[in-house]
Formats: sequence, structure tokens, C-alpha cells
Amino acid sequence: MTGAALARGRTAMPRFLARHGWALGVWALLGLLLAWYSTLIPRFGQFQVVSITKNSLPLIYLAVGQAIIVIAGGIDLSLGGLLLLSNVVAARFMEGQPLGVALLLAVAILVGLALLNGLVGLVIHRSGMPDIVVTLATSYIWSGLALWILPSPGGGTAPEMRWLFTGSPSGIGGTWVTPGMMLALPVLAIYLVLRRTRLGLGLYAVGSHREAARLAGLDVARAKVAAYAFGGMLAGLAGLAMVALTGTGDPRFSVGANATLNSLAAVVLGGVALTGGAGSVIGAVAAAVILIMLNPILSAMGIDPNHAQVIQGALIAGVMMVGGLATILRERSS
Amino acid sequence: MRSPLRSILILAVVLALALSACAAPAPPAAGGGQQASEEAPAQEGGFVLGVSNTLVGNGWREQMICAIKAQARASGVVDRLVIINRNAGPTEQIADLESLISQGVDAIIFNPTDRDALNAVIESGADQGIVMVAVDQAVSSPKAYVATNDQYLYAKLGAEWLFEKLGGKGKVVEMRGIDGVPADTDRHNGFQDALANYPEIQVVAEVFTGWDPSVGAQQALDIITTMEIDGIWTSGIDYPVVEQFIAANKPFVPIVGADNNGFIKQLIELSDEGLVGAAVTNPPAIGAVGTAIAIDALLGKEPERVVTLTPKVFSTDNVEELEALYAPDQPPGWSTYVNIPPYTSYQGKEDVIACKGPGEE
Repeated sequence: MTGAALARGRTAMPRFLARHGWALGVWALLGLLLAWYSTLIPRFGQFQVVSITKNSLPLIYLAVGQAIIVIAGGIDLSLGGLLLLSNVVAARFMEGQPLGVALLLAVAILVGLALLNGLVGLVIHRSGMPDIVVTLATSYIWSGLALWILPSPGGGTAPEMRWLFTGSPSGIGGTWVTPGMMLALPVLAIYLVLRRTRLGLGLYAVGSHREAARLAGLDVARAKVAAYAFGGMLAGLAGLAMVALTGTGDPRFSVGANATLNSLAAVVLGGVALTGGAGSVIGAVAAAVILIMLNPILSAMGIDPNHAQVIQGALIAGVMMVGGLATILRERSS
Repeated sequence: MRSPLRSILILAVVLALALSACAAPAPPAAGGGQQASEEAPAQEGGFVLGVSNTLVGNGWREQMICAIKAQARASGVVDRLVIINRNAGPTEQIADLESLISQGVDAIIFNPTDRDALNAVIESGADQGIVMVAVDQAVSSPKAYVATNDQYLYAKLGAEWLFEKLGGKGKVVEMRGIDGVPADTDRHNGFQDALANYPEIQVVAEVFTGWDPSVGAQQALDIITTMEIDGIWTSGIDYPVVEQFIAANKPFVPIVGADNNGFIKQLIELSDEGLVGAAVTNPPAIGAVGTAIAIDALLGKEPERVVTLTPKVFSTDNVEELEALYAPDQPPGWSTYVNIPPYTSYQGKEDVIACKGPGEE
């Protein structure tokens, strides 16, 4: 009895490490960076914790959304465009509204974008066109729509919405509790859906081998639509978080384009295989926070701002190569 | 495989990870001393200044940062600059300003991406005893110092010079910047108000250059080869327009531009060939003005909250002034007007060109 349990424990642990090693490594790296950052600045307290948490929220949501789609074997270049769309709709229509209306609008935006991007998923599945082509096209449509809804930066949101994402009605210097909750709850919910439901496991199956999944009786179309719908909803959440951070809407194309690229960087750094079927959203979360933290760390180190971006890119490349090497070594040894 | 033990283990780890997102960085030096600002009385020196800029690869903005560096160095009371310079919107700039606040700088000089979006972080910084100075563009927070160039007068003074030169009569072209950008709107209003006083001046063409030299050059070529015009007002795309007159072999008409090095050079060298024009200043040295204001505030000198610089007009009426501005070694886009009394104390263009902050080399 005990012997069997022990034996199982012995095999379970390496498997756990093999499956989650990368995510654990990224979290460890984040922990190290946080510890290091706290020694670089004179004071590390609630202000800094809140600052990092809330400023990371948009990228975290977007990275989780991108991770789901990539796990299911796709890639979505339109998430930044959807973020813009959510951002401008919220900023334009929430301004001066009471909390009830603002919350209703928030739900409508999340549901609306989920439906919209689910539809894109269906189009991709039916047309057989590559994900990258379809979503590149839709990214321009969403960005154009955003500019049409809000031609120049402006608008606003309810103070309670700002409090929800930033911990303070003014957006700065609040408590860490609400942004912390807004980080943990959606991520945890998505994680459980992916790992604990038939639908979630189906996404992994479809992403890892589409034809095998179909032959095994999985509804491939449903998986595609679900993955893109989740992605759309999370991009909507990212847009809401961005309005809460700044208190205004920003329809500029570059904002969305940067967000898309950063979401892909976070997914790759977070250990989600771009080939699909492997990885977890947990790693992508830590990777998103790391990407956000690089700027304050590099500036606290006094690195010439003109070199910061190069270092940022080199760091991502370096981490990826170490990860690739680790995978090769592991495969060779087994 | 799907043993409950493993599920629980995974869940526990996930929970721990998720919680660590908020709990791990829990304040090691807790105690809520956060808001207790350093209410230090006016110090005498050793200041650290933060700089936030959100447009990279733009000549004007790079010169602004060099002017900040030169002024900080010349002041003798600044130990160090922390510069955060990246292409960004308000979301990123809020993060950048928070990170400068976290680094414990004494003052922050920033070129704002948005009039209203930064107010909360500006107030948070000011409440922690940090001097917040917006330069180039205004912010609506009353807790910030604001130093800007007067864009309305930039256009009005230049247009008035042009209309006077034409004897109050003739056909002119208005070459604007980017539609919808505040600076362009302000300048257009200034241009229109100047126009209102000259009923016999007629605007025969109005174009948006996008502040892009190649776009402006093409538009200018189209205009001067197809239209009868008496004068051109530009929102800063000036030397490419003059080049088109040469390319098309057309006689010059009076032209108004900014204090760009290339334009100043043309005004000096082509005056013998009949080029008449005026350069209106829009100095990136506004960054140095903001730096001087920040230092004055830190030294307890209580500078004015809002400073709006009135542009200066340098024209071919006084070539010696133009020659004093001209910087032969600098690119055509270099802004020549760098000394702004009483704010700047560096040694003119050499210091700005050197682009060295305190402690560099």
C-alpha cells in the first residue's frame, strides 16, 4: 500500500516537473526579478506592488487569450485590435455613467467580443485559410472600427471600474487587493477550464494533432470557435483594464499592434509551444509580468534608454534558447 | 493518472502561484510609510531628475532630451538623470512615471502623451514631494508645472510677417501639419486670426503635410508648378519646399517656416538669389526650460506654474541674426534656437550638440 503510493509519488513528481517545469522556471525568474528590483530602488512597498500588478493586467489578459488560441493550434494577430475596440467602446459609452450601466456595458463588451471572435474562428475553420491571414485582416477591421467609434483619444469610465482594476478610484496609489483579485480570478478560471473540462482538454487535443482529434470523435469546429471566443473575451477584458488604467480611451493603431506583439512574446516566453497542444496559461502570466517589469528594471539599472529595447529582445531570445536546449537535452536523455 | 492526490497537488501549486502574484511582493518594509512623503525642506543640490519621453527616433524629441541633459549638467546641482525613452501611449507612460516615482527621483520632466490621462499619477507624485513638470504639451492637472511653446502665436506671428511682406494683398498657401493634432489645431486658429485682419489676402490652397518632408515636398511641387501664388506659410516643413522652387526652376516667393537648420541655411545662402523668408521658433529647448523650472522648484524658489514661450521671428530682414543661429555641422532638421533666457544656462548650441548629462564622461 505505502510502497505503491511511494512508487507513484516517485513517478508523478518528474512528470509534474516535466509538464510544468517551464512555467515554474518562468515564475522563479519573475520572483528573482522582483527581488532584484526591490534592491534597485530605495523603497519597495504597496505603491510598487500595485503599480506592477495593475500595469501588467492588460498584457496578462491578452497573453492568456493568445495562449488559449495557440494551445488550440491557432494564432491571433487581431487580439490587439479587439483590445482597441473594447477600449474605445468602453471609454465612449461608460463616461459619466453610474456603476450599474458601466458593469452592464462591460458584460456586453465581453460577450460581444467573444461572439465576434468566435465567428472569426468559425470562418477560419470553414474557409480553411491560415489563421494568421484571417486574423491579420480582421486586425485591420477592428482597428479601423475603433478609430471610427472614437476618432481621437478621449472618453472615460466609472470610478468604480477604475477601482476594480487598479485598486483606486483615481487609478493610482490604491490597494493591491482588487487588482490582485482581477489578476488571479480570471486566470484561475481559465486554467481550470483548460485543464479540468472536456472542452479544455479538447483544445489541447485539437492543437496537438487536429486530424487525430477529429478521428477520435472530437468536434474540431467547436474547439476552434471556443478558443477564439475565449481569446476575444480576454482581449475585451484587457481593453476594459486599459480604460481603467488611464481613465480615457485610445484608438491609436500602434497601441493595438504593440499589444499583439507583446502577447505573442509573453506566450512564447511563457512556454506555450507555437505549434500548439502544449503549455499552460500560468507560465504566460508570469512572462507577461516579466515583460512589463523589464522597463522599470532597466531604467533603475541606469541603462541607456536607447539600448533598453535591444536588451529586452536579447533577453527574450536568450531565455528561449536556454529553453530549447533544455528540451533537446531532456528528449535525448529519455 | 488522474489521482485525486495529483489534482490536489496541482491545484495547490496553482493557487500558491496565483496568490504569490499578489502576496510574494508583499511589502518587506511594511508599515504603510508609503504616503509619508519626503517633506524635505529645499535642498541645495545633489538632485536626481527623471525624464519621460514617448516618441523615439524623432529629431525634435531627441534634441529636447539633449537640451534637458545640457541644462541639468550646467545647473551644477543635479547628480544624475534617469531617462525613460520609448514609443508609448498613456498606459505605458503612467507605468514609466510610476517607475520613476519608485526610484525616488526628486523631479520628473515629461512630455505628456495625453492631456488628462496622467493626472492621477502626476498628483500621486506631487503628493510624495516630487516636482512634476510637463513640457511641450500641457496637462490639465493643477499640481503639475507646465512649460510649452505657444503654438497659436507660432502661426499668428509667422502669418502676420508673411502678410505684411506681401503688402497685405495676394494669394497664399497654408501648409499644415497633421489634422486633429492639438498643435495643428492651435496653429490653424492662429493662422485664421491673422488672416482675419488682412481681407485682401486669399488662401488658395490648404494642405496637410503630416509633418513629413517627402509629402510636403511633393505637395509644394504640385502647387508651385500649377498655381499662381505669392507666398507660402508652412507648419515647419520648410526647407523641402524651398528645394522644390530650385528643382522646378521657379522664382522664389516669400516663405515662412520654423527655425530648422536647413531652412536657416537656405535663407542665408539664397538671399542673394531673391529668397525672402522668416523662421519662427518652436524650440525643443523647452525641455531645458522645464528642467530649469524643476530645479528652481527644488531649490524653493517657487517658479511660475505655467510658462508659455512666445515664439521669436527671425527673417531675411536681418541676416546677421540668422547667421548666429546657423549650426553648420548639424542636420537640416536641427532646431537652431537653443538659448532661451532667463531659463537656459548652458553654453549655447555646443552644449546641446554634445548631449551630455551630469556625470557623463
